[in-house]
Amino acid sequence: MMTALNPNIPAAVREVAADGTQLRYRLMEMAAAMDNIITLGRGDPDLPTPAHIVAAASQAMREQRTGLSPVKGLPELRNAIADHLRRENGLPVGRGNVMVTTGGQEGLFLAVQAVIDPGDEILVPDPRYSSYDDAIQRAGGKMVMVPTNREDAFNLEAEDVEAAITPATKALLIVTPSNPTAGIVTEDRLRRIAEVVIRRNLIVIVDEIYGKIVYDPWQHFSIGSLSGMAERTITLDAFSKAYAMTGWRCGYAAAAENVIEAMARIKQVTTGPVATVSQWAGLAAITGPQNCVEEYRQIYTERRHILLEGLDRMGFAYGEPRGGLFVWADSSSTGIHAAELSYLLLKEAGVLIFPGTAFGEKWREYVRITLLEPIEVLKEAVERMMPVVTRYRR
Amino acid sequence: MNPAKTLCRPLARRVAGLDKLTQVPGGRPDIPQNVIQAAVDALARGETHYTDRPGIPEFRQWVADDLGRRYGISIDPKEVTITCGSTEARYVTMTLLAQPATWVLCLGDPASIRGALHLVGAQPADSMAAGRITVLYLRPDDERAALAALLRPAERENWWIVWDMSLATARPDFHPAQNEKLAARVVTIDSLSHCMAGWRVGWMAGSEAALRLRARKQAITICTTSVSQWAGLELLRSGE
Repeated sequence: MMTALNPNIPAAVREVAADGTQLRYRLMEMAAAMDNIITLGRGDPDLPTPAHIVAAASQAMREQRTGLSPVKGLPELRNAIADHLRRENGLPVGRGNVMVTTGGQEGLFLAVQAVIDPGDEILVPDPRYSSYDDAIQRAGGKMVMVPTNREDAFNLEAEDVEAAITPATKALLIVTPSNPTAGIVTEDRLRRIAEVVIRRNLIVIVDEIYGKIVYDPWQHFSIGSLSGMAERTITLDAFSKAYAMTGWRCGYAAAAENVIEAMARIKQVTTGPVATVSQWAGLAAITGPQNCVEEYRQIYTERRHILLEGLDRMGFAYGEPRGGLFVWADSSSTGIHAAELSYLLLKEAGVLIFPGTAFGEKWREYVRITLLEPIEVLKEAVERMMPVVTRYRR
Repeated sequence: MNPAKTLCRPLARRVAGLDKLTQVPGGRPDIPQNVIQAAVDALARGETHYTDRPGIPEFRQWVADDLGRRYGISIDPKEVTITCGSTEARYVTMTLLAQPATWVLCLGDPASIRGALHLVGAQPADSMAAGRITVLYLRPDDERAALAALLRPAERENWWIVWDMSLATARPDFHPAQNEKLAARVVTIDSLSHCMAGWRVGWMAGSEAALRLRARKQAITICTTSVSQWAGLELLRSGE
């Protein structure tokens, strides 16, 4: 039987429990009003934007290179992104296939607006990053869930994708590495998924924002690099996670030229160009030294190890986190609904995590915990959480 | 493989009604040195992360204080959201307040909202006879007598009023929210686009829809570029 939500938890949590995005923001607001909170909720890297990127942006500002950019982005940056995607991801793209977006989230919004009509179905692996719900609903799209599970480390199966397809299906959304599960869709699975989407003539929208943060021995793979996929794949990425640049709001999309043109026309009337200084920062990130990315990945690798040890001690199970900045942990051994557990851990342990229900209605026995605090803080978080979990375990 | 020119499936139908891109020259604005320094300082102290979803508190406070000081209207800083220029503020307000198959009454050229309305499924109207009006979109440069004449039906019909100051040629001496009966349904839009367009800083303020407006903005771009907000705040505080 599914764990039920305790009716005695505060209304502030209960009233938004069914809205994943609002639930996350409500918990963040509660945490902001409290002292001495360890925040393992929001996916905002605690590490600094690397110095050479900050220096490039500062220089651009001092030289007054901050005039309004073309809607698709600075030509220098679009060229650099196309070069990068060809070289690192194997995507067959030129500048005409690339545009700059106001972070990854806007990229998804623009992509959905460009290709989804009211009534179209879009396949979404479950659990999902629920912040994308609004964009899909706004376009009149209907989300159809495709199951993933812990035993398979939340990898995606081609058979499950195909089983969810109906005549109304237009697109498949993939987030790899996944937020919230930290699973990746492996190359072998992506090849089989590509066979399905080509045969059924679907579009793939793939969010690869965590693609540079994949843990050994796993590797990131871009489905858009496969034969027959270039004309049906919209690849989204951003500088936010790999380069710790969330506040700059700079990402990019790669797709067929007519999709990029459509997305840019939508962007022109919804948000306008990306801040020019952020684009100079993005250019420095993508063309500058990349050792910062590996350095940060190693830091996250160590933190992941510490957090998983702590979860083992608490009796939480998890699918192997293969990439990204989270651990998606099965908290069913506590017998407590995830929303209540998150509330209790915030109130009594001073640790902010997000309940699984923020990422899909049925994930009442899962929690998402970020790796975005230093190791000593993560250790303290585990020590704080342990007695609360023990006290309330049912 | 060659780069793809055309998607394997048709684009969404809404794309066909959108204007072609208007290429803008980049140029080099003359941003005051104190503003540049504030931005450089913000980066140096690590302001490179997400800001508060609705914007940095100091900026929101400044907007609320300024509207109170100039027009005597009371706006809580919580009702202010910093946006990616006035473009995002206009889109967010229209997508939340205008409903599909309704009309947005606009004096003068509706070019600044036409694209947003197209995406919403609403249309601009130049008279009350067009059909069901949900929003009155006004700008300080609109002809004053015509503008004033629309406030009474706005009150009677419970229309939302979007007061877009970002396109004003001069700062107005009037604000529709000064009418207490209208205030709860007036959203103010403004921006720094006239002097620092490439930084993408605007805002929307006030109304009983403020929290929903902020949530809708968050769903699109999460927050506005941090360094741009710090630069914009310095510009406003220094009165440049």
